[in-house]
Parts: sequence; C-alpha cells; structure tokens
Amino acid sequence: MDMRAPAAADAATPRDGRRLPVGGWELALTALLVAVVAGFGAAAPGFYAGPASLLGLTENFLPFGLVALGLSLVILTGGIDLSVGAVASLSAVLAAQLWSRFGVDIWAASALGVAIGALLGLLNAAVILRLGIEPLIATLGTSFLYGSAAVAAAGAAPPSGFPASFTAVGTGTLGSLGPLAGLVPIQLALFAALAVLFSALVARSPFGRVLVMVGYSPDAARYSGIRTGRVLATAYAVSGAMASLAGLVLASYYDAVRPDMGDVLLLTAITMVVLGGISIFGGEGTVAGVVVSVLVLGFLRQGMLIAGFSDMVTTMLTGAILLASIAAKNLFNRRGTGLANQIWATIRRPEPPRANPN
Amino acid sequence: MNRRRRSLGGAALALALSVSPLFAADGAMPDTAKRIKVAMVPKLVGLSVFKANEQGAIAEAKDLNIDFLYTGPVTASAQGQVDVFNSLIARKFDVITTTSNNPTQLAPSLERAMKAGIKVVAYDSDVAPQARDFFIQNTSYPAFGKALVESVIKYAGPDAKIAILSSTPDATIQNEWIGAVKSYLAATYPKVQIVATEYGQSSPSQSLTAGLNILQAHPDVTGIIAPDGAAVVGAAAAIEKLGKTGKVFTTGASNPDAVRQYVKSGVIKETPLWDEVKEGRLVLYVARLAADGALKDNDTFTAPGLGTYEVKDKVIVFSEPLVFDASNIDQYKF
Repeated sequence: MDMRAPAAADAATPRDGRRLPVGGWELALTALLVAVVAGFGAAAPGFYAGPASLLGLTENFLPFGLVALGLSLVILTGGIDLSVGAVASLSAVLAAQLWSRFGVDIWAASALGVAIGALLGLLNAAVILRLGIEPLIATLGTSFLYGSAAVAAAGAAPPSGFPASFTAVGTGTLGSLGPLAGLVPIQLALFAALAVLFSALVARSPFGRVLVMVGYSPDAARYSGIRTGRVLATAYAVSGAMASLAGLVLASYYDAVRPDMGDVLLLTAITMVVLGGISIFGGEGTVAGVVVSVLVLGFLRQGMLIAGFSDMVTTMLTGAILLASIAAKNLFNRRGTGLANQIWATIRRPEPPRANPN
Repeated sequence: MNRRRRSLGGAALALALSVSPLFAADGAMPDTAKRIKVAMVPKLVGLSVFKANEQGAIAEAKDLNIDFLYTGPVTASAQGQVDVFNSLIARKFDVITTTSNNPTQLAPSLERAMKAGIKVVAYDSDVAPQARDFFIQNTSYPAFGKALVESVIKYAGPDAKIAILSSTPDATIQNEWIGAVKSYLAATYPKVQIVATEYGQSSPSQSLTAGLNILQAHPDVTGIIAPDGAAVVGAAAAIEKLGKTGKVFTTGASNPDAVRQYVKSGVIKETPLWDEVKEGRLVLYVARLAADGALKDNDTFTAPGLGTYEVKDKVIVFSEPLVFDASNIDQYKF
C-alpha cells in the first residue's frame, strides 16, 4: 500500500523498519472490536436486542466517524484540522437557515452546506499555505472564526423540525429497499460507502500515494516534483466537506441545529484517527484502521453507557485506551518511541509545506 | 386507581368502590406495589443545584419503591444527554426525568423513549412539549420576575438605573424571566430604566468581565439583575472588585452555596430561587404517578410532605420563589 511512497522518501530521510507488519494494527483493532461487541452483548442487557438494535446503535456515533474519515487525510499529511467541529456547526446552521429562512429545498441546502464545508476547508489551507501558519494554530484560529459565525448565523431561535425525509438520514433505515435492508441504518450505509471510497483513495489511488508521501517527508515530496500545496489544499477541503456532512447528519439526527452542535466532534474524531493507527506526525496508517477504530470507540461508549457506567467513566476510559494503545504502538515503532523522540519530531516537523531546517 | 382496586380482595373491592369518590377528591394517588426504574438526567453531573435535586429524589425513591439512578453528561451538552437517554431506553427504564440543555435537540430521542413505553417527566428546563408526558416548572415566570425585581429595587430605589446580566441570548428560562422582569417593572416601577443587557455565557469569568463592563460603562447603574447562577456570581464579584458594595445591588438565580459569601458581605441583599431538594422529591413523586398511569393531563394530587399540586395541560408549577437573605441562607445547604 503506502510502502511505495516511503521508499521514495527514504532517499532523503534515512528511516526504515519503522512500523508494525502491515495489517497488524488493523487486525488487533478488529479483535478488540469483536471482543467489545461480544463482551457487551453477553454482559450488558439491552446492548444486543436483535441485529436491528445493534446496528441501530451506530446511529449514535457515526457522525464522529464521518469527521474521522476526512480528518484522516489531513493527519496523513502531518497536519491537523481543529476546525472540524466549528465547520460542522457552521455549515449545518447555514444549510438549516437556507431551508428555513429562504425556503431552499432541504436537499439543495444540504448540498450547499457540504460545499460550504469544502470552502471553509480550502480557507484553512489558504491560511496554512499562504500565511505560513502552522496547521495547529491556523485551524485553531479558524475554528474560533467559524464557531462565532455559527453563533451569529443561528440567532436566538435556531431552526428545527426538518422534513421527515431529511430526518430519516439520521434515524431511518434502508427499509424501502427490502426486508433485510431494513436492518441497516441509512447513516451506516452512508458511512460504509464513504469508508470504502476513502480507503481506496488513500491505499489505491495516485492521490493517496502523494498524500502519504507529503506526510512522510514533505521535502522529499517536493523535491520529487509533487505540488504539495495542492495536495494539502485537497486534504483540508475534503476534511471540511466531511465535517459539514457530519454536521448535517447530526442536524438530521437531532432534528435541530445548534451553533455548538459540532463541538463534541473534534476530540473524539482525533482519538478515532490516532487509535486507528494514523501517525499524528503524518505519513503512515490506513483508513481501514480508522474505520475499525470508529466502530471500537463507538460501540465501547454505547456499551459502557448501556451497562450503566456514567458518561464520566466512559469518557475517562476513552482517554485511557487512547494512551495505552499509542504507548503499545510506540513500543513497536522506532519513529515515535520515547518522549525525546516525540518532542524532537514535533520541533522538527512543525509545518509540512515549509523547508526543513535540517 | 384501577390497579389499586384490583390488588384488593373482593370484599375490599366493594369498599374501595364505595370510598373511591373520597380518593378522587384527593386527586391522583401512586401505586407503589410494583418496583420501577426511574432515571434523573440533569444538564450535567457535578453541579450543586442538580445534586440537591438528586438528594431529594433519593429520599423520595425509598418511599415510592423506586430504583433510582442519577446520571448525566460531563459537560452541559444536549448530545451528551441524548447519549444517556439512548442507553436508558436500551436498559428499559420506566421513567426518564430530565432538565434539558436544549428543548429541540433532545426531542427525537425522548420521543423514541415515549414510543418504547417510557414515561418522560421534564423538570427545571422544559423540552419540546410533544417529547414529554409532564413538566414540573420551578416557579411561575411572573412570580420569579417579581421576586427578582423586588430583591433589587427595594434597595436601589424605584427610579434606579439597572442592568441585566444573563447567560446566553437563546436561554429559554432566562429569556422568560427577563420578559417577566420587564413586564413587572413596566406595571409597578415605570421609572426604572434598563440601561444595558449583557451575557456571561454561564461562565463565572465571562460573567465577571461582563459585570465589570456594565459597571464601568454605566457608572450610574445601581442594580444588576442576573438571572443565572454564574451571572449573579460574576455581577457580585464585579461590584466587590470595584468597591461598589452598598451602592450597587445585584440579585439572581443561584444556589445558596455559590452566593453565600456575597449575601453575607451585603453585595446581594436578597436572591430568589426555590427549594431544589424539595423539587427533587416532587420530580420522583410525579415520576411514580406517571409510571402508574395515575396522572391525567389536567389533574390535582397531594404529595405527602410536599403539598397539593395542580396539573394544568401537563404542566405542574412547583412552588413560589424562595428568597434567600442573610437571615435564612444558612438553613439551606446546596
């Protein structure tokens, strides 16, 4: 898969033997997923009440997964997008206002909402590339801008009460396609389709190869004649579009929009991406890992809540799992082992598009 | 009533039938024969006003044969509450009681709960009416508006210039209270002027900043009505910081613990709220009645030790405002 890109990168940066055997991390996560689902199914009454209810649980967390898919691309480039929550809020609020104030058809408004998300992502990229601001700071800044814009756009009484066909996206199933399809929530179908698309994009397409290469070594990528700016802009635009899609699914799920509705997405989505095996420094990891990690963290949280653990314990456990899994991963990974290496790596690669001081 | 009669023997049945008009005069009665599971979902866990509700609810749960669970999100988010509701639906609770972070976002999940046969009782902050069986309102809005005005104007005078420091522009209860304050002022103290309205986002530090802004921009303000727990603390701290204690008076809607020091130092002369512990007891009592199917949309009932309440179009008003001042505040610990 992405082995080919680092092979090129190695010419400039002599690093190798840097990660788990291919698929090892994904396999471990899949085992964890099976354990989580089977464990809660056996131990927590109410977790498994037929296949429809089990699949229905995914409706409660797949918006996080949509954000995680988009964010994966950005993190693969070695960047970060802290504005996803604000983008989700802003584009959902704008789409809802288009529908409620200006009478735009809800689906047209949703399509515009996704386009707005992509534009906001491009704006992030412009700030990073043109102003030379680190992704962390740039998207932190834009997240405040977008978040405040969402508050302003929402007004005192944000729209709610969408048409039933729209709310079906968040809470309906594919029931009209046949009896078995009635088990599958529309959200799950949407996520599955996009997961396949993103996985193919990263693992099989030329774009995926340059994306990973830019993340692994931006200098090597640029010296190889890759237009790194264009790759980064695409990644941030896709992240923005996916965030706004998540915002719209949330709007559908809650049958309402709120200017702060996306705030919860960010940290969990980052956790999903990193637990999925994508290095926070960029250049390694697979979308398949992220997809499994979305399911692991999602089912874990739902299972914990159904088993009667409080939100507090559940949230704490999520943090603990993230730390433990990354620590375990780092044991097998020369690139990230030890605090000194991590700090060094942070200092050394603050912003992908710029020249490496070494 | 029906279930109650069925549980009695044949002879008793006749008796029960003959006395049933007496029972009816007392309104709805709970049937505690069957143990039920009731959850209380606050806006977030770890806030002392909601803990006070829990304290009352726990006491009441014992008498009413209820398995009681207090659970909620870590931050005040509607999404967090929905997560909790979903888990309660899966665990087949009989009643969900909640105070909502947002009336519209919670509705779909609570409607799913109602479809699954779960009774929903909202208290404190209402959800959309179609998404709950009953709503327990803390106090009536006009009564609270009046209490807010009186607890400042009594000291600042009937021709004072006052400011309002609220939580957020879209907070339902706060806006209702501010509306009630305005209409009471117009009717009773027409000379009082509201010169500024600021928002502290329910954050103590932002409320302090907003309070300082008000006092510095309007030095002639002598009263701040801050109908939010964080806002009143921010306003009081701002008054103290600028050395205006005794010249500017504030009042709000806060639990006694949070404002005790300001009440004692005289920045706050009076501040209204209601008895949160007692409200928690009423919530559980109504939950029991709702689970038994014993409460109609328009009804009356007498809860032992709490009083007689009227249900009007599914809404129950809990009590008159309870005004804390230096003389009584130490009787209330929450």
